Amino acid sequence: MIVVALAVPFAVGVLLMLARRFVPSRVAAWAGAGAMTVTLVLYALVWEGSEGVSGRVDAPWIEPLGARLQLGVTAVSWPFALMTAFVGLLCCLWLVADDAAPALVGLVLVISASALGVFSSLDALLLFVFFELALIPMWFVIALWGTGDARRAATRFLLFTVTGSALLLVGIVMAAVRGGSLELIDIRPDAVAIVLITLGFAVKTPIVPLHTWLPDAHSAAPTVGSVLLASVFLKLGTYGLLVFVEPSAEVGVVAPYLAVAGALGIVWSALACYGQDDLKRLIAYSSIGHMGFVVLAISTRSDVGHAAAVFGSVAHGVVTGLLFFAAGAMKDRFGTTSMTGIGRGLYGRTPWLAATFVLAAVATLGLPGLAGFWGEVLSLRAAYDVGIVLSRPVAWTGLGLALLGIALTTAYVVRAVRLLAQGEQAHTDADRDLDVREAVVMGALVVAVVVLGLAPQLLLDVVAPLTVWAAP
Amino acid sequence: MTIPVDWTVAGPATVVMVGALVALIVDAFYHRRTWLGSGLPSTVALLAAIAELVRQDATGAPFAFSLVVLLGTLFVVVASNVMNFENAMPPGEYHFLLMSAAAGALLMVSARDVVTLVVALELLSLPSIALVGLRQGDRAAIRSAWTFFLASVVSTAITLMGVSLLYGVAGTLEYAGLREALVDPDVPESVVSVAVVLTVVGLLFKLGAVPFHAWVPDAYGGTSVMVAGFLSAVSKAAALGALLVLLAEALPEAHDAWGPVVAVVAAVTMTIGNLGALRQDDAVGLLAWSSIAQAGFMLAPAVAVSGPYGLSAPLQYVAVYALANLVAFAALAVVLRLRGSTRLTDLRGMARNDPWMGIPLVLAALTLAGFPPAVIGLVTKFVVIRPVVLDDHVWLAVVMGVNVMLGLAYYLRVVVTLCGRADGEPYVSPSPPISVRFAKSTVLIGSATLVVLSAWPDLLLSHLP
Repeated sequence: MIVVALAVPFAVGVLLMLARRFVPSRVAAWAGAGAMTVTLVLYALVWEGSEGVSGRVDAPWIEPLGARLQLGVTAVSWPFALMTAFVGLLCCLWLVADDAAPALVGLVLVISASALGVFSSLDALLLFVFFELALIPMWFVIALWGTGDARRAATRFLLFTVTGSALLLVGIVMAAVRGGSLELIDIRPDAVAIVLITLGFAVKTPIVPLHTWLPDAHSAAPTVGSVLLASVFLKLGTYGLLVFVEPSAEVGVVAPYLAVAGALGIVWSALACYGQDDLKRLIAYSSIGHMGFVVLAISTRSDVGHAAAVFGSVAHGVVTGLLFFAAGAMKDRFGTTSMTGIGRGLYGRTPWLAATFVLAAVATLGLPGLAGFWGEVLSLRAAYDVGIVLSRPVAWTGLGLALLGIALTTAYVVRAVRLLAQGEQAHTDADRDLDVREAVVMGALVVAVVVLGLAPQLLLDVVAPLTVWAAP
Repeated sequence: MTIPVDWTVAGPATVVMVGALVALIVDAFYHRRTWLGSGLPSTVALLAAIAELVRQDATGAPFAFSLVVLLGTLFVVVASNVMNFENAMPPGEYHFLLMSAAAGALLMVSARDVVTLVVALELLSLPSIALVGLRQGDRAAIRSAWTFFLASVVSTAITLMGVSLLYGVAGTLEYAGLREALVDPDVPESVVSVAVVLTVVGLLFKLGAVPFHAWVPDAYGGTSVMVAGFLSAVSKAAALGALLVLLAEALPEAHDAWGPVVAVVAAVTMTIGNLGALRQDDAVGLLAWSSIAQAGFMLAPAVAVSGPYGLSAPLQYVAVYALANLVAFAALAVVLRLRGSTRLTDLRGMARNDPWMGIPLVLAALTLAGFPPAVIGLVTKFVVIRPVVLDDHVWLAVVMGVNVMLGLAYYLRVVVTLCGRADGEPYVSPSPPISVRFAKSTVLIGSATLVVLSAWPDLLLSHLP
């Protein structure tokens, strides 16, 4: 089932790229949406329960290396996979009316399928192959369909990421050689390997100070590119930390650095956001803060932290996806994402768009009742409980910084809402409210944000306690 | 005096040598001097040599390296048809020299004593030098050949000095004898260290390792593209095979002497090669520097040559490297013939407007970089890092990781250049002569092999010892 779920978007994506001259763009987008629907449904059906692996596929691959074609979803990866398929589907729908090139739809499909492959791999080498597979398509999405100095931003993104993945490769080889297994469930990196693997995923997550590729790439990319980068690509980093680093007995080597860097990221990103005029850059910086909460949670290596990390990642995926779609909708109308350029008073000018944006914005600051809240509060709880690897001063330093960060986050979110939604209406000719496809895409995400916020148990029940993963 | 000849070893080399002579004779009596006239006997001889090699049912590293050499040379011979009707290149001499060098490469990987090794090294080097300077009336080629010649002579002289020292301490030059002699505690350790390091120098030179790398970009850039392909794939595979066999069979006891040298040379080679490649604007120059970096990757697992993967890892790596490099060079030779330039700016958008040559180039670059979808490149990177980690050279493994990244930086630049949108009018390929189609067919067969291996890496990893 998982094989089909992966093969369909890959095949449709490659076909669309090859036949880009012969397919009308609407047909391409609908075909992409159809493929992603199939994938989403299959992933939803494959679930068998939190214990063990669902939908396992196991075939010989490279015997001399001990690598096998092992696919399946676990309690950790299934929420990530569902979120990815969902966001990929919405991206295709977004492209329906967008006169988008069929090749762009194809690239979106290939990127989504590669990310799904990462989440479904039970073999470290296979995971690495999928991890790398998405990079070049993403370069093209940013460089060819982006705005501003897109080529430069795309190249910087690519170079940063491949630096991380080169270290990751060495780390995986080291873990495989010393641990004798490439299976994710058995792989136990030693101290050196875990530093390399952590560095590799830290670039992707990103963890301060390895984040400098992110703002440029997110703001230069086209709307679907930004959404995929934020909702899916960053999750590859946190997912990697969750499966490689968190269960390892050697996590103590990196945990204090992760905790402090994550907490610093929260504060730093909030400060950077406050100075932004460009809406997409602001959202990009806010992602660093959200990832900071996830990293802080992971570093505690506790059940609460584990749940917080998974919840925070998925919630960030839907909330930030919604924000980037809203920003994209504004860009389509006003031709800019500068907040002063868009002008004030969106409540009166485009009420539905403004309401959606404000809902996403308050979700991003962690308003109770919306998705962003649970990830943050559980993360703070995990840091307060200290966990088993951190020392109390380190954990509580992280906690203090994170609390400070939350206060600062509120400040920049309120500023953005004030600059855009409220105030005297600066009418322009471009004021149009949401059209159908925007309403459908954003509506779906709003529903997800609210459901996750009101019924967090839906997701938390899926996430098994950490002990399932971390064998003694 | 009788000289023992092991025909199972010498057979394929003899067949290749006969092919070289026939190619020369055909050229002398066949006046049209077309590429096919001397290419045909060369091809037949190579096929016969492959048959002979396989018939003997041999196994192990020398067999596999010989196979890589023969298949690589066959690839070069067929792809060299691209030079048909280029008046400056005499086909008879070309094939004679190419086949002689191939025979030298074959002997080199099968050598079991140091004298044979040195003779084979020269049999590979001298025709290679002549090949580099073969293009008539090309002053740049002559200059490159001179550089190559001087570097070659100096390194051979150093090797001979090491060999004489080895003979002095061990009293024999056979690998098996050396191995036993060096166990003897009476052998002065300092002399052995010097002797071993000096001996290895000649092979490092052929491999293009730092600090003997300066001739590589010069020779590759100055000669015709397919000769550069031969040097980068066949000559390098032979040098690597000879070096590994020498270290594993003759000198395992002197590991303390050459281990650190090999590790440091590997690390420096891959770093300098990659840094050099970053600055290149010409595809051939880029591949020249990248082949220096790749030599470092092949050399790195040699630090654990006595370990479980010490011989198989570099062998599998070099087989994939050679194939990818030959595909790239052959594609560039076709491009040079049809477009007159291999500068990266002139290749922009080639994967879109000339997919039959552009996509193989993309595939080759991805394989060399070790980047999916060319899974086989990634898998062989894994394979060469594994023995290094297993032997506890963590620093070297990290250097390799950093160099994988540096390599990606320029290989991916090639990829995005080739896949990018072309400036201006799309290129329309003129109807090429049949000889160019021969070269194109090798590119396509090579890329098809890479695709098959990427889909099923086990095919290579389980069957190449």
